[in-house]
Amino acid sequence: MQLVLAGKYIGAGLASIGLVGAGIGIAIVFAALINGVSRNPALKGQLFTYSILGFALSEATGLFALMIAFLLLYAV
Amino acid sequence: MNFIINSPLEQFTTRVYFGLSSGLINLDTITLTSFSIYSIAVVALILGFSILNDNNTNILPTRWSLAFESLYFTVEKMVSEQIGGLEGRLLFPFMFSLFMYILIANVVSLVPYSYAINAQLIWTIGLSVAIWIGCTLTGLANHGAKFFGLFLPSGTNLPLVPVLVIIELLSYIARALSLGLRLGSNILAGHLLLVILAGLILNFISISIFTFALGILPLSILLGIVALESAIAFIQAIVFTILTCSYIKDAIHLH
Repeated sequence: MQLVLAGKYIGAGLASIGLVGAGIGIAIVFAALINGVSRNPALKGQLFTYSILGFALSEATGLFALMIAFLLLYAV
Repeated sequence: MNFIINSPLEQFTTRVYFGLSSGLINLDTITLTSFSIYSIAVVALILGFSILNDNNTNILPTRWSLAFESLYFTVEKMVSEQIGGLEGRLLFPFMFSLFMYILIANVVSLVPYSYAINAQLIWTIGLSVAIWIGCTLTGLANHGAKFFGLFLPSGTNLPLVPVLVIIELLSYIARALSLGLRLGSNILAGHLLLVILAGLILNFISISIFTFALGILPLSILLGIVALESAIAFIQAIVFTILTCSYIKDAIHLH
């Protein structure tokens, strides 16, 4: 029983490593936004809209990994 | 009811407030739970917001009617850009209802001690699977067997075709799950983080008068995270609606 609990905690910790991808992905999206606005400042509004969409999609992938961690912790 | 909170996950428990029971048939679905009370509150807020701010007798807009019109134009721009034409106008009420429901439900859940409707994964994934089934049936009804041409981007080499079709098929099926899981896991993780941090700050503050005074710093960090959560509430409503429009456009126009 204690081994199952230890396995749960270790599994949840390992699954949270997937959030590294989310962090890097969001940084890439906003780096592209800064590059794009610096090249053409007139497109700031449209590029910002696309960057918010890209941020949400990239964060979703990271949160899929976090959901696996919660699944392991609380739903066996 | 127990007012002492034991774990941060207790904020997501659905409590039954009023239920019917019968010895003959299963009446579990006719219950008034926290989910249904908050759903009714969200719909009442949307209706009240719309009815009180319609301002249809004045020429000059009030601040409230400007805010409501900006929400309207957000959804209209999304729908007319993604699904243009007649189908876009016909589907606009559905998109607007979806957007307003998710937005107001997310914003209501930011009130302290409140209950997050969109953190219930059964609800969000069920909604997204229903939308996905609707898109697939729409595509099959409009295009027949040619709907499966959605899975083959034009101009691919012949050896790549089987692999690409399988990958596109898997990605299409994953849409059903990912649309709802994105919304649900964002709201769930955000609220869980807020409650965990608030519990830790409470433990820190209750040590002595010195830490009570020093507690203004962690509380300001918590304020920053609440601001992030309200931005996430708005962004997740927009992303859900814009992705639904994109999936419907794929079903109607086939790329």
